[in-house]
Amino acid sequence: MRTLTLILAISVCAMALTIKLHAIEKGGLKFTEIQSTTSPLVTFRVILRAGSINDPAGKEGLNALTAYTIAQGGTKDLTYQQLVEKLYPWAAGINVQVDQEITTFIAEIHRDHLDAFYKLFSDLLLSPRFDPADFQRMKDVGLNYIKNTLRSTDDENLGKEALSAFMFPDHPYGKLEAGTVKGLEVITLDDVKDYYKKTYTQGNLWIGIAGGYPKSLVERMKKDFGKLPTGKFEPVKLPTPVPVKDVEAIIVEKPTRAYAISMGYPIPLTRKDKDFYALLVANSYLGEHRTFNGVLMNRLRGDRGLNYGDYSYIEKFVGGVTSGSRFPDLNTPLRQQCFTIWLRPVQSENAHFAIRNAMFELKNLVRDGLTKEDFEATRKFVIYYSKLWASTLSRRLGYQMDSEFYGTEYFIGRIEKELKKLTVNDVNAAVKKYLHDSDIKVAVVVDEGKGQEFLNALTTNQKSPIKYASPPSESILNQDKEIEVFPLNVNAEGSKVVNAKDLFER
Amino acid sequence: MIRTVGILLLFLAPVALVFAQGKKEAKESKIFPYQVNQVTLDNGLKIVSIPFDSPGIVAYWTVVRTGSRNEVEPGKSGFAHFFEHMMFRGTEKYPKDAYNEVLKQMGADNNAFTSDDVTAYHTLASADALETIMEIESDRFMNLKYSEEDFKTEASAILGEYNKNYSSPFMTIFEKMRDAAYEEHTYKHTTMGFLKDILDMPNQYEYSLQFFDRWYRPENCVLVVVGDFDQKKLVALATKYYGNWKRGSYTLDVPLDPPQKEEKLVPLPWKAQTLPILAIAYHGPAFSDSEIDMPAVDLFSQVVFSETSELYNKLVVEEQLVEFVQGGQGDSRDPGLFTIFTRVKNPDNIDKVRDAIYVAIENAKTKPVSADNLAAIKSHMKYQYAMGLDAPESVARGISHYIMLTGNPESVNRVYALYDKVTPEDIVMVAEKYFAKENRTVVLLTYQEGKQ
Repeated sequence: MRTLTLILAISVCAMALTIKLHAIEKGGLKFTEIQSTTSPLVTFRVILRAGSINDPAGKEGLNALTAYTIAQGGTKDLTYQQLVEKLYPWAAGINVQVDQEITTFIAEIHRDHLDAFYKLFSDLLLSPRFDPADFQRMKDVGLNYIKNTLRSTDDENLGKEALSAFMFPDHPYGKLEAGTVKGLEVITLDDVKDYYKKTYTQGNLWIGIAGGYPKSLVERMKKDFGKLPTGKFEPVKLPTPVPVKDVEAIIVEKPTRAYAISMGYPIPLTRKDKDFYALLVANSYLGEHRTFNGVLMNRLRGDRGLNYGDYSYIEKFVGGVTSGSRFPDLNTPLRQQCFTIWLRPVQSENAHFAIRNAMFELKNLVRDGLTKEDFEATRKFVIYYSKLWASTLSRRLGYQMDSEFYGTEYFIGRIEKELKKLTVNDVNAAVKKYLHDSDIKVAVVVDEGKGQEFLNALTTNQKSPIKYASPPSESILNQDKEIEVFPLNVNAEGSKVVNAKDLFER
Repeated sequence: MIRTVGILLLFLAPVALVFAQGKKEAKESKIFPYQVNQVTLDNGLKIVSIPFDSPGIVAYWTVVRTGSRNEVEPGKSGFAHFFEHMMFRGTEKYPKDAYNEVLKQMGADNNAFTSDDVTAYHTLASADALETIMEIESDRFMNLKYSEEDFKTEASAILGEYNKNYSSPFMTIFEKMRDAAYEEHTYKHTTMGFLKDILDMPNQYEYSLQFFDRWYRPENCVLVVVGDFDQKKLVALATKYYGNWKRGSYTLDVPLDPPQKEEKLVPLPWKAQTLPILAIAYHGPAFSDSEIDMPAVDLFSQVVFSETSELYNKLVVEEQLVEFVQGGQGDSRDPGLFTIFTRVKNPDNIDKVRDAIYVAIENAKTKPVSADNLAAIKSHMKYQYAMGLDAPESVARGISHYIMLTGNPESVNRVYALYDKVTPEDIVMVAEKYFAKENRTVVLLTYQEGKQ
């Protein structure tokens, strides 16, 4: 195969972008600009530097409900329905994404309509209507999401969220972004108005804008958003995550035909750290999201047909299940991260084997590391592949702002820079330092009434031979014999069986 | 979680960029603004190529005009999708691992999908990699070879895909709705296929060879290349790598359904806790770039079900009886289903909600849409399509949709020209023609502990 040169430019890069990082304004406002002379689009990402970690105790969901009531509500001048009618002919949208550390209002518009659109968008954020009917509508959305979607009809996200809570006990990251049932139930419209008043300050707002906007727009925004109360951004203090000791499992029961599996532990690394980039290569080798590159995907799905997909992550993985995106999500930065493995639903009779298979591969990675050839191939892949992630202006802006959150240079640029300097020894040293096959939390969504039996099988290291529709090759069958008795050593004391109906209640 | 909530869906990208690059076409009122090159090789393989300002990047699609619609034999539902998986199992020259290794070396994004009418294989990679992509793609399309053991292993992965979708009630609703609504046509089953057929897939190795022989033929495929490439080199490479591909001869006869005679009601108990979901399907038209029916149905869906509609305002915003309500029909080669979905907040209000939907449909038959509303809808639809064409992969996706339907990329311009011509009377006409009681199938999913 021919030698390929590095991809240096993609479509948005061809637009002659001017990136402007502003000093924080006097009142506390922060701006990030990516101006293009040729793009007809203008894209906004307005970040509120508050997320579900800012929810007061007993009112979990307040941050989310406030953001939804704003984004799905009206302005002082226009009802929600009147606003929708104005946006409709432009096919314009205003979305909000609620995460743990930040909340992002995302909008995009053709510049022909920029003036009229900006007026509506800024009014929505600066003079929200807070109509009781809009508040009630969004409260129902939040409650129904927890009670009727997450707990019952979305097993893969249920497994991930159950793991998140299990990995981060007594920690703000252990809570759902949407809140809890009891929290949402008690929140009043006055609570929302009060939270808006206290939280939507100049110090907490960070305005990202990209595309073909006139320079005067930024000045206008400074003036308009400068009317918000001044303030200084004060991050919520986070405790150090409780170190995971032993292998512990949370088994979640609900009616289901296949078992969704997630496992992991917190890691003390983020994009700002040099070692993150070494681990990025190792993780891609183990389980690059939605590709056939990873060891997990090849061994569990490719060789054994256990399920649809098997991946690993070194940042909290969100989205993907419903969005179908093959690339990482944006504007979900966290100050503390985790390593996780995600096994898509496995036939119940093979679930125990699948967990063992994943742990077996993780153990191999920790013990043996990557070969020089694997390292070179994976490094090259990540350098190329990451350049596909920011193919639109909106994504480019999102990555820029995430990079600033982490206090690092532009993430995709840094990937190339760091990876070029790496050696196989750096990567394997990072694997040894940050990954381990013991001391891990496991979440499994199982059928109703089957939880205790499944947990007992795990804690007693019961033999779990895989059942095939038709047997694979001899070499795989031989390895199966080792995997089916691979000791997981799940600690019964630290493990539990819960019903999905009881999760995220308070 | 519901991390994102939006006023309207985010379908955003550069319209004026589009117009700036395609001034000539814009003057001719073509929605698709880019230059479209078309070349057909002697063996019938068509190459559609679109230069796009994405230096260093190329999107490479192979559109196979075969989907679950082609699964006419009993017991073979889901096979087109299964076969899409088998296409990643390698050849003699590039066995599975070697194929993946080549893709990895390129840092390519590579995947595929199957629907009723198409199986599409797509790669996004460095423009430098074009020849390598063409070499490995032509190789697998012409020389696919897999063992029976691999075949059976992949069949298990298909069951895994079914399982991953299973917890969502929408998959089952679609299964039941199509099964009830159609009698003969292959749209009776979903692209995933009936579970009993999925469970039998490991036994269908011989049939899989036949399937490849029938459909993976040059006259049934279109290459779509978007981005940074040289047209002359592209054609030379296509000739070099695909020139020896032999034409096929299989012809397909998909039985069409007779008109539905009476309303069909399908109760669907669900044992995991959920709010009631009401799904209503009407038999609609097939896609056409010359008949007004399908464009008029698309506008009808906006009049009755968009966020600006009276129905949405009543059910979602004012009375807040439902979480959402939506209705529309995807384009399909044969007559498809117009489907309406709503999730009702309180089971006591199911009848009220259903009746409100029927009233809204009846109103569309008697009250023609206003000129202002029609203009807003047409503007919305144009922006929505054109603004989505902001990157090579989205342009490739946007044009492949029409190639799937007719084999001709020009269909996109023809159908948007038809949208322009739709009148209020056309919308009344399709409301009367397709939205009658005897033409509908109603699926009602409700939570019933222990039943499913």
